[in-house]
Amino acid sequence: MANGRSGLRSGNLRLAVEEFEQTIAQAPDWLEATEAYAEALDMVGETARAAVEYRRLRDLRAATPKGSPDRGYAVRRRGQFTEEVSAYGLVARRIDRMVFPFIARGNAFLADGHPTEAIRQYDRALRLKPGLITVLALRAEALSAVGRFRESVAGFDKVLAANRNDAEALSGRAIARMALGKVADANATWLRQFELLPPEQAPARACVALRMADYARALPELERAVATNPADLYWTLYRLTALRRLERQIQMPALPGSDAWPAPLLALHAGHIDEAGVQARADTPGRRTEAAFQLGVLAAEADKEAAKRWWRDVVEQQRVDFIEYAAARNELVRLGG
Amino acid sequence: MFSVIIYGRNDSHGYNLHKRAAISFNALAEVMSDPDDEICFVDYNTPDDHPTFPEAIADTLTDKAKSVLRVLRVRPEQHVHLKSKTHLVALEAQSRNIALRRSNPRNRWILYTNTDMLLVSRKEGESLSEILGSVPDGFYQTPRFELPEMLWEAAFDRRDPAGNLAKLRQWAVQFRLNQVVHNYMPMKYDALGDFQAALREDMFAIHGFDETMILGWHCDSNLAARLALYRGKVDTLIDRVFGYHCDHTRVAAANNKGRATKMNDHDRYIWNVSTPYLPAQAKTWGWPDQEIEEIRLDRDTAYQRFVAGVGSVVEPATAPYSTTSIEWYLFNDLTYDLPHTLPFVCDQVLTYPRSTAILVTATRPDFVRLFAEAWRGMGFTGPILLPSECKWLPTDIPGTVVDKFSRQLRKADTFIFEFGLGSQALDDPVRTGRATTLVDARRLSMVRRFLRRATIAEAETRPPGRQLPRRFIGVNVIFNKYWPLFTDRVAANINPFCGQVLAGLARIDESWKGKLSRMRAKLGVS
Repeated sequence: MANGRSGLRSGNLRLAVEEFEQTIAQAPDWLEATEAYAEALDMVGETARAAVEYRRLRDLRAATPKGSPDRGYAVRRRGQFTEEVSAYGLVARRIDRMVFPFIARGNAFLADGHPTEAIRQYDRALRLKPGLITVLALRAEALSAVGRFRESVAGFDKVLAANRNDAEALSGRAIARMALGKVADANATWLRQFELLPPEQAPARACVALRMADYARALPELERAVATNPADLYWTLYRLTALRRLERQIQMPALPGSDAWPAPLLALHAGHIDEAGVQARADTPGRRTEAAFQLGVLAAEADKEAAKRWWRDVVEQQRVDFIEYAAARNELVRLGG
Repeated sequence: MFSVIIYGRNDSHGYNLHKRAAISFNALAEVMSDPDDEICFVDYNTPDDHPTFPEAIADTLTDKAKSVLRVLRVRPEQHVHLKSKTHLVALEAQSRNIALRRSNPRNRWILYTNTDMLLVSRKEGESLSEILGSVPDGFYQTPRFELPEMLWEAAFDRRDPAGNLAKLRQWAVQFRLNQVVHNYMPMKYDALGDFQAALREDMFAIHGFDETMILGWHCDSNLAARLALYRGKVDTLIDRVFGYHCDHTRVAAANNKGRATKMNDHDRYIWNVSTPYLPAQAKTWGWPDQEIEEIRLDRDTAYQRFVAGVGSVVEPATAPYSTTSIEWYLFNDLTYDLPHTLPFVCDQVLTYPRSTAILVTATRPDFVRLFAEAWRGMGFTGPILLPSECKWLPTDIPGTVVDKFSRQLRKADTFIFEFGLGSQALDDPVRTGRATTLVDARRLSMVRRFLRRATIAEAETRPPGRQLPRRFIGVNVIFNKYWPLFTDRVAANINPFCGQVLAGLARIDESWKGKLSRMRAKLGVS
């Protein structure tokens, strides 16, 4: 990759293309390499091949799971941000008396799964502008991501002292509080966030209500989310979840043609695959959390103890920013588990 | 699929603006293929007595451009609260936000660009709607390539966008135009503001452009910084579309003073941005509570309104021409040809807001009758205010309000003062040496007194909330005894006699009489 970049910068485009080809062969899903490869191909006049790579790049990006819409902007995205880390690093070397490069770099680290590095960047920004609320909020998110929940709550408290209506900070604080086992406190914070979110942000409101396992509150928001984002299967899945937990009659929607995640969870609701089938398909830690939660939802209709076991499993997996984590904790409190 | 947002005003911003803009409007429309696509042009702070910029160049726009173009007119009165804070006459952030607020909610994308850009899809025949429809959510930019002034000026046909785009494809190779200028992140490219495509919902989430940026420049970089934070990435559409900028460096634009150019603070608005959001303007960006007039070029045009108004009251001529004269011995003859003059009067008011309240002080009842009918026909909804002291004026015309002059003065947005002979009938001969009767003289005396009062106390009698001076239109005030009287009080241009109309703002009378009159007006003493 580095040789490819050097080739691009030094005008040795053929070398760049060869280097990127090798990189892509080893890591076909590496977004930055794909983008650089596409650029190099375009520059040497291989426009058709470049177009294929650009298309592949966009498909890869589109397939990257998105964070929940109720969360802070910086934690709403996930994926590969090494290019941004590097680009803002270059900027920060030259513009080292202004906060933007450090914040942008910190956010890139956070989204790329390196919260400790993110905290360092935010600290650099805070040295330049001590007490900057917007950075304190980002730092609190990063602290939460490394499990320093008490410090995270303290950070969010400062942010909320400055602006009690900061919905994103409320979300962060609620998650950290829930992670600390303060369920009632967390729910009170989410309720405040829910009240602040305008009706047009139905997906975000739905997520907040789901975290509280308040399915009656979530259902109308989910109906709106399904109507406006029919392609996003999570809204269909969560709508089914709410209907089941409210013991309402369910009419199964048509299942998607593709079996890409979360389609297996919909298939589970439809009875097309069983517990083992869905667990086999849950091939990442996050998917295992989602699968365990849905298995709990299905079990709860007939076997409360089994449901409790699944939801305890969700809690033990400690993916504290997942909707399922908070919902499972709330379910367990209600079931006395 | 997408709303293009651009802005400007009816002035001369840079070299050969009219051609550049026409080329650009037509080319932007040419790459639209979705029925929801639109070009939202904010016409910011064009004087009330001028048409908007797109109206001024409408004849050079294609039918397609006219059909997708929505002109959102921001009046000088709506800008006046910002006037003292900036040296600029058109504000980018405000303009773009006004359009964003009012853009088609069915569109997924907002494309920010300028009125001198042409966008060329790399795959021939592919529209920008198709391109934007095929890419995932994100914040996209594309590099801008420069087009030498001679090329667009000499070789482009402004009404042939397809031909222009084809020429660009050829020139790009022939003249090696395509040079990408990379820039630091988050800008990614130089001159980034000429192609920034963002999701409409993202723009609402971050509260639009920063409306504290009123000194010009860097609005695009600020947006890039904030969207880069919000989205995490700045994506490129370099593989799908190229942007070409019609260079205009022969003459510097008003906002370009070389090294002395005033600008928004680079550090504050780019390098010290710490959040995508602008909570301070969350509820106010894009002026949601302001009524912004919308003008279309494909329907209800100014010309159509003019015809509907004037055409309904003026009978077509039955002779090849009529005559009048400016020979000296006719100086005191105040007769004029009303059906001939009325179109020139209507021309003075047509560009005003439809809700305008106009105070008409006239000697001739037939002038008021015909003008009132034309006024309604032109689509005005505001009242015609008539002074009750002018007993000879008709009181039965729908849409007129009769009240004391002193009260009308405080309701009027603009004024007409007409100096004719009340005794003249519509088909009486014009300028034949007719004398002023005693009745005429009394009426003229009252109109003259009211003109004096209105001009002296103009500032003190403005309707509540109005800050800008009101305009005075004089009818039959050229080359007769009311010519010096009117121009002593109103700073009007020199106009041809044939129109019989002058217009301008009140001159400030610094004499002790003027000061006393202003004080009386301020205190409400009539």
